[in-house]
Amino acid sequence: MAAVKAPEFRGAHRLGCRLESFRRFLLAAVSLIVVSTSGAADEFRPWPTETAPELVLSQLDGPGIDLAALRGKPVIVHFFATWCAPCIEEMASLNALAAAGKGSPVILAVSVGEVDARVRNFFRDRPVAFPILLDRDRSAMRTWQVEGLPTSFVLDRDLRPALKTVEPLDWTSPSVAAALAALPSTPPKSNRGEKETPP
Amino acid sequence: MISRRDMLKTGACAAAAVALPRPAGAQVAAFAPKPGAWRDFEVTARLELPANGKAQAWIPLPSMREDKWIKRGKSGWETNALSAEIVRDQKYGSELLHLVFKDGETAPRVEVRSGFSLRDRAEDLATKSVVPALGEADRKLYLEATELMPTDGIVRDTAEKAAAGKTSDLDRARAIYEWVVANTFRDAKTRGCGTGDVASMLRTGNLSGKCADLNALYVALVRSVGIPARDIYGIRVAPSKFGYKSLGTGSDVITKAQHCRAEIWLDGYGWVATDPADVRKVVLEEPPGNNTLDDPKVVAARQALFGAWEGNWLGYNAAHDLVLPGSNHKVGFLMYPQAEVAGALLDCLDPDTFKYMIKSTELTA
Repeated sequence: MAAVKAPEFRGAHRLGCRLESFRRFLLAAVSLIVVSTSGAADEFRPWPTETAPELVLSQLDGPGIDLAALRGKPVIVHFFATWCAPCIEEMASLNALAAAGKGSPVILAVSVGEVDARVRNFFRDRPVAFPILLDRDRSAMRTWQVEGLPTSFVLDRDLRPALKTVEPLDWTSPSVAAALAALPSTPPKSNRGEKETPP
Repeated sequence: MISRRDMLKTGACAAAAVALPRPAGAQVAAFAPKPGAWRDFEVTARLELPANGKAQAWIPLPSMREDKWIKRGKSGWETNALSAEIVRDQKYGSELLHLVFKDGETAPRVEVRSGFSLRDRAEDLATKSVVPALGEADRKLYLEATELMPTDGIVRDTAEKAAAGKTSDLDRARAIYEWVVANTFRDAKTRGCGTGDVASMLRTGNLSGKCADLNALYVALVRSVGIPARDIYGIRVAPSKFGYKSLGTGSDVITKAQHCRAEIWLDGYGWVATDPADVRKVVLEEPPGNNTLDDPKVVAARQALFGAWEGNWLGYNAAHDLVLPGSNHKVGFLMYPQAEVAGALLDCLDPDTFKYMIKSTELTA
């Protein structure tokens, strides 16, 4: 897996052994999954960045959401648009993942560049069990360096970048479930005592 | 799910289909726009906004300055707005009417009438002529990336593959046109004219959509190989005189008849008309529908729409990424009326809720 060796380890030494060990563990887990499974998770890949960008956005028909407040559970940040045909299919599978129960990651679906009314109409017919954030001016898309839709990011429970996919996924597939299950399940020491904040 | 790999496979099949010979005896339909008499039109846009808070509206006005195929007339309006002014965008020269209604206005409304003249256009691509060079500022403007039309990465890679082996700008632009016609398709379910997120289309391999998708893709691909190009956003205003039901209006109500076309700049020819999206519209919609690429009506449209178009369409402007004056909202392009009530943009693709109606009248006999 030459592809997974390259940039994500560059500069990791600056962060000390603990982070490097974590990344090696995560990378090994993901590599194992990518090698041993076929289908959608073939498109899951490590997200080679040290810290996730900020994400503070208005919510469709709800209070604004700050990603930083969601520390404590893995988070999926999913950029989509209502006009994007693959996104529509993927939204249904994300909703199925959300409905799967307690262990599911927090899901933040970020609508890119659309007017609120259009997004509201879209979800009126296809309600989902997670918040819809509004990136009205595409600024979050730029900050997160999203080059096309759909694009999804997975952060671990300490909001560290873990996985990225630029392909539409079936989030209920066994291979995706395995990739999500491979995320660290133990809360980092530094965060003990922090309360989980549901979306 | 459609992957990029599937798209490339589909593209190969489509390209193979194009190469098939036409059935013996197939007739070539007539679709041959040629510059001729000017036709005078008036388009009327009427907006009635909900009275749920402070309201503003923005209505595109004819802004193209291209005397070969469009002459602008006067625009006038009747409204109960507090203020109404024509605002000209400095970058692209696009013009719109900006209206601000007073707080508490119970029935914000406006009716805008725009006059203009149109005629067919067609370039003789067999012969170069003396055409003034495109100014440096315009060359730069019409080569640059926009928010939804990047010109690097997968866009440039795709364009270079489509134009491989071609050397002149004319041949490269034509090869990319043929690639777009062969590899994209019109999706009747796409709302409005589409969005034009070119990178997402190429990356996901979902090359479907409508004019704002397919012609934006063409423009981005052409720009990426160094040929100036622009998408012109407008609206169909009359039936096609060539009998193409899919390429004209069905009545004088044109509320949902928005359409954009593409132009490429070729030294020795000037701005050249193209419209690969309309070729795909003929494929999908021209009766009986779902036509093959070797259907005579498709063949005729495909041949004509690289170099010509019919003067039954009003081009408003070629602007991208416009911040609406007096608002923080930005639109990728300005082809529909826009309005904001209580700080929220209304859905311009939902004219019945918005609400607005657009009508066209031909003034010439």
